[in-house]
Amino acid sequence: MGWEEKRVRGYSEFAQTAQRYHGRPIFALFCGDKDAEGRSWCPDCVTAEPVVRKELHHMPDESVFIYCLVGDRACWKDPNNEFRKNLKLTGVPTLLKYGTPQKLVEEECFKAELVRMLFTED
Amino acid sequence: QEAAKYEKKVMVLDFVTPTPLGNSWGLGGTCVNVGCIPKKLMHQAALLGQALQDSRKFGWQFTEEVKHNWMTMTESVQNYIGSLNWGYRVALREKKVTYENAYGEFVGPHTIKATNKRGVEKLYTAERFLIATGERPRYLGIPGDKEYCISSDDLFSLPYCPGKTLVVGASYVALECAGFLAGLGLDVTVMVRSILLRGFDQDIANKIGEYMEEHGINFIRAFVPIKVEQIEEGTPGILKVTAKSTTGNEIIEGEYNTVLLAIGRDACTRKIGLDKVGVKINEETGKIPVNDEEQTNVPYIYAVGDVLQDKLELTPVAIQAGRLLVRRLYAGATTKCDYVNVPTTVFTPLEYGACGYSEEAAVEKFGEENIEVYHSHFWPLEWTVPSRDNNKCYAKIICNVQDNERVIGFHVLGPNAGEVTQGFAAAIKCGVTKEQLDSTIGIHPVCAEV
Repeated sequence: MGWEEKRVRGYSEFAQTAQRYHGRPIFALFCGDKDAEGRSWCPDCVTAEPVVRKELHHMPDESVFIYCLVGDRACWKDPNNEFRKNLKLTGVPTLLKYGTPQKLVEEECFKAELVRMLFTED
Repeated sequence: QEAAKYEKKVMVLDFVTPTPLGNSWGLGGTCVNVGCIPKKLMHQAALLGQALQDSRKFGWQFTEEVKHNWMTMTESVQNYIGSLNWGYRVALREKKVTYENAYGEFVGPHTIKATNKRGVEKLYTAERFLIATGERPRYLGIPGDKEYCISSDDLFSLPYCPGKTLVVGASYVALECAGFLAGLGLDVTVMVRSILLRGFDQDIANKIGEYMEEHGINFIRAFVPIKVEQIEEGTPGILKVTAKSTTGNEIIEGEYNTVLLAIGRDACTRKIGLDKVGVKINEETGKIPVNDEEQTNVPYIYAVGDVLQDKLELTPVAIQAGRLLVRRLYAGATTKCDYVNVPTTVFTPLEYGACGYSEEAAVEKFGEENIEVYHSHFWPLEWTVPSRDNNKCYAKIICNVQDNERVIGFHVLGPNAGEVTQGFAAAIKCGVTKEQLDSTIGIHPVCAEV
């Protein structure tokens, strides 16, 4: 069956989507919002996204890849934002395997090898 | 990781043979997965339970009875361990160390066979090899032991609360586990064959035992189990244990939900093909003798950690030995691992920190006339208000009279013993004398000022 991608924005949409696919492997990439020209305010996210996308075919069958925009820079810097509180995210970009302690943060997302390892580990 | 720093091509083979009950774990070895880390976290859980009780005397008001949920604790602990396993995977990858989750064994000179969990075999050759396979818990060899008993390998990820538990053994593993299980509110009994904490200062070992007994842990002394039977299946079920006295013919029986074996650990050296490459091991204990540079009798094979003969079985010692070895091999360093004056801590309900000689070992080595022991009971300020024991905490130092009263042994029994001991270990390494200790002004009010 391969894998499918879901794009969401904001924490509640993310939580709902993750809940819907409970039981399947779920990987999520969190990035800063993009402007009208499609560029994110977060330069590291701009670098990481193509690296991650190139490795998506390594995800196990039936996987769901959730591409989640976390909000604008001000929203992200707020220490009470729901991503920080509920998912314990510390930085963007973050790539994680939902429901496990496995994640890659910031520059770790630039490394194709590490991304591949996250997608193929059990 | 150290070797990779020096541009060496490095591979790590890590494989966990499942326990008799089918348990396994991730990268990191015993300490991370089924040792120090989960142990300390569960010990902390028990201490927090005690703190909750004490808090009422300090003015905190809560009417609900506070209960403990085993699953919540275990899940949090396992989650943390999972993040450590993952962290190591990332670290190895970043440092370009090849990692294989496969069982390694020597098949010939410079050659190793790696078998993964699906049975696929691969052969690898290398210039040098480092054995760090550690140990696994020993079983009793009696009917029912492997089928019904658990070990520390199973305890920290047990998917159900162990309930009424019998701990067999009097090692630090046994006492630490018995300690936190009781601290979490469970009914715990410890069955001891002879003495507590063999190898540790016996004066302190007895105080630890007394404290545990006074705080609700039952001890059955001078008995060994001879049979374990299952009365009822379940999670947990009910087990019947039959035990025989070591001093006579008396037989006793008891029923428990869980039986935890902690009678010792055996080195994992018998099934890794050491005979194929000629590495000598101590046939009786399975341990590997090495020279002071961690080299076995085969020059290109080294070993560190718990598999070594006559060396301390502690994680930081293994790590230090490993790092220094690599620096000697590839960075021209000459420092050897210092195995003397290594501090340790036993995380029993009343914690015990030590560095250097026990009283018995000091007497044996230097003679009773040549050592002086200074000791004192103390009452931690934090224990006064909640009316906790005022004569249980204890500290002693053993000094060598012939060498300026140099401190050769440090022992402390009390809260945060590990934190206290670490600093004194550095002092002992510098050769601190009694006079210097006396002239060091204490911090007040802390236990360490004693």
